[in-house]
Amino acid sequence: MSVTRLLAITGFLLAIGLLGVVEWLARREGSRIPTFGDLAGFVMGYEVGRLPVGRIAVFGFWWWVGWHFFAR
Amino acid sequence: MARESGLTRGGGALPADRSTSDNRCVEQSSELTVEIAQPWVRPVVLVPVFVLLSAVGGLFRSFSLEANLYVLAIGGTLFWLGLSSRVPRRSVPLRLSRSGLWWLVPALTLAIVELVTFVRGSSYDYPTLSLLADPLFEGYLARTAGYFGWVTAFWGLIRR
Repeated sequence: MSVTRLLAITGFLLAIGLLGVVEWLARREGSRIPTFGDLAGFVMGYEVGRLPVGRIAVFGFWWWVGWHFFAR
Repeated sequence: MARESGLTRGGGALPADRSTSDNRCVEQSSELTVEIAQPWVRPVVLVPVFVLLSAVGGLFRSFSLEANLYVLAIGGTLFWLGLSSRVPRRSVPLRLSRSGLWWLVPALTLAIVELVTFVRGSSYDYPTLSLLADPLFEGYLARTAGYFGWVTAFWGLIRR
């Protein structure tokens, strides 16, 4: 295994681990950090006029993720 | 911008002059009120449906027409449900504290590694996340589990 591949894998594992750590910190009693669900809900609440741009963007991204990993 | 959450608050579920020995029924969560109103959104109903959808999705190999159509159909249905008002939504904060910036740490870490590996051509030496995931999703069980995670997370987003 090359060093760059090892670094890339380590980087991805680190990012996933950090996601878990921040979520854990957010769920502690009295934490001021929003949970991932709150963050996603806040982003999805963004609207331009009556168009739910935030929801369209987040759903569209997640739809693409599914297609990218399972179909393409 | 404030928007309708689609939730029915439990506080209004009882007549004002009704007294009880405790306040459990008054302070019931919004979630409970929603579940009673729309029983099909309960986990006991949805989890078997998601398992079934995932079990079917796991049968289709990547790059096949079936896999493309299946993701298109499932994603399209969930996308439509998410934009409609058919699914009750949980309340969300109208503003976030600056502590929310902590989410940039994992997000930027992921984005930087993905960007570098993508720019380098997404090869064996510089694998993107999807390239690393491909061998994992070749097996039926892992692929089914992946589908389940994707659909469940999609549903979680719809409820927000």
